[in-house]
Amino acid sequence: MSEVLRRFAIEERGQTQDFGAYVVGAMFDRAGTAAFALGDGTVRIARGPDWPVVEAHDGAVLSMAADVRPGWVTGGDDGRLRRVAPDGAVSDVARYGSKWVEQVAAVPDGKGGGVLACAVGKAVHVLDGTGTALKSLQHPSTVTGIAFDAKGKRVAASHYNGCSLWFVGAKEDKPRVMDWKGSHTGIILHPAAEAVVTAMQENALHGWRLSDGQHMRMSGYPSKTASLSFSRNGKWLASSGAESVVLWPFFGGGPMGKAPLELAGAEGVTCTQVACHPSHDMVAAGFNDGMVVLADISSQRIIPVAPPGHGPVSALGWSATGSHLVFGTEEGFAALVDFTPR
Amino acid sequence: MSDTLIPVTVLTGYLGAGKTTLLNRILSEDHGKKYAVVINEFGELGVDNDLVVDADEEVFEMNNGCICCTVRGDLIRIVAGLMKRRGKFDGIIIETTGLANPAPVAQTFFVDDGVRAKTRLDAIVTVVDAKNLPARLADSAEAEDQVAFADVIVLNKADLVTPEELDAVEARIRTINRYARIHRATRSNVAIADVLGQGAFDLARVLEREPDFLEDSAHSHDTDVNSMSFEVSRAVDPERFNAWMGTLLQEKGQDLLRTKGILSYPGEDRRFAFQAVHMIADGDFVGAWPAGQERRSKLVFIGRNLNRPQLRRGFEACQVSASSDAPANAPTSAPISAPANA
Repeated sequence: MSEVLRRFAIEERGQTQDFGAYVVGAMFDRAGTAAFALGDGTVRIARGPDWPVVEAHDGAVLSMAADVRPGWVTGGDDGRLRRVAPDGAVSDVARYGSKWVEQVAAVPDGKGGGVLACAVGKAVHVLDGTGTALKSLQHPSTVTGIAFDAKGKRVAASHYNGCSLWFVGAKEDKPRVMDWKGSHTGIILHPAAEAVVTAMQENALHGWRLSDGQHMRMSGYPSKTASLSFSRNGKWLASSGAESVVLWPFFGGGPMGKAPLELAGAEGVTCTQVACHPSHDMVAAGFNDGMVVLADISSQRIIPVAPPGHGPVSALGWSATGSHLVFGTEEGFAALVDFTPR
Repeated sequence: MSDTLIPVTVLTGYLGAGKTTLLNRILSEDHGKKYAVVINEFGELGVDNDLVVDADEEVFEMNNGCICCTVRGDLIRIVAGLMKRRGKFDGIIIETTGLANPAPVAQTFFVDDGVRAKTRLDAIVTVVDAKNLPARLADSAEAEDQVAFADVIVLNKADLVTPEELDAVEARIRTINRYARIHRATRSNVAIADVLGQGAFDLARVLEREPDFLEDSAHSHDTDVNSMSFEVSRAVDPERFNAWMGTLLQEKGQDLLRTKGILSYPGEDRRFAFQAVHMIADGDFVGAWPAGQERRSKLVFIGRNLNRPQLRRGFEACQVSASSDAPANAPTSAPISAPANA
């Protein structure tokens, strides 16, 4: 392993913290500030020398998204959807009683507003950028994942036996239901809305081509798939759940009948998080031993970011320009790595 | 490893049996421990605890070729969510609805890798109402399943029946499940130590408190669930046993609610412990045979339509030939798994 002998990017270019609580989310807001959402209910904003602590939820933060404006929105096991401003101010967006707010998504409209969605039980609640409720979309079973398309026109929700696609602005809410038997546990939309893909309970991914509903079966994982990320142009879908980063080709007729590309593999470890770079064909990956690497998809070159340690990587995210990477682990280790040229 | 796993107690029982009273007793007792409590929406009484999760009891089929393999999808999500606040509680108690079949709950803890990695099923505790149990058993398969699956049975409301009636109810329970520990109670006043920390699914303790094997009860015609035990004196050939048990679980897994056993393999000084919930089996070596103790292999079944002569012949045929005590096959340390899982 020549990679191990090389320096890890985190040593020269990283700022790290030990939060002592499960890192649920690690991401940049739309203005380029990074924050971490934790299992102790706090959000930590990566600003200044000692990253301010924001008390966001009474319980654990379960979900996090970059808000449509600077700041973040978080869902908690206290039944609240909250907004954390870049200055650390916290406000309620909505309260859903004793139910958990397990998923949250947001997409800006480019005019200062946008649309938010959160999953609470079997419902997806859709709100406008100010937090005003627009609609509640009901599903046959608990919603396990939500994803907007790039413009926020459609929202997709995964659940038992398939997923549902809704038009956010429809007068009459009638979903396009994509069926596939089994428990679907997460969802992602292709950046050009060519396909929708779900993670499944059965160590596999399932996809549907949106033009004709063609099924895409992607199986062979040794463990559950949890983290999914499309490369910037939608050519590749990166996924966790194997000993390497598994990338399925979404071009040339793929992924049907094509073998996936496997990068950054090592024996005895499992990839837990993936995040494609926003402008290059490059993927960041975190593993269950705490290792983080960057893999260049075309050259297959590996850049080591963080050595093993600190528990399974549980969150990973790029800044909008791809100059910075953040990640966190189940044990509460967190890092912000600066890749700007020096 | 196993001491880092969070223990999970499953509390079942028909409506009105006193489940929630027992739950509140456990929570209010001065034991210095914190529990996360998972309740269903239709709980009879309020639960007074800091960490209460509303569950939807979503039972999902697994597409793993195992026809009776159902899991609680909501529990998979809830356990993952609770693990985000790790260190904030010592155990999980899951209260099921009165009508729930315990199998999907139990199977969730064997089937889902994420749940297995963080938790261990401690015991299934069933609360029954001494006065109404006979009527419930007559009109509800679920009530019978709850008794059959139980590791611990709280025979509650003992004050509402005569001592003779109480004995009769207990005898009735014994015809269904001879292996559960029965505790008589009034207003669910059972000692916490008799309910929590049972290790009932711990392979090392799988037949720890076995009843007297010679005292096989007479077949009962008014109960379709029964328990049976078998014992053989010669060592058991692992390959023959795996083949027989694999076929048995595959063909009769739906009827076999719980199966447990301790096996003596030829030329092996350690005991091999085995257990199954329906078709899902688990087994491993669990430590040496006590010195000077006769090494007899034992097997216990709780289920429907148990054919005693067939099961006995099948188990007896797994023994090594009487002529030679030499090891027929090298024992394998690999856990037994049902063919559907292999």
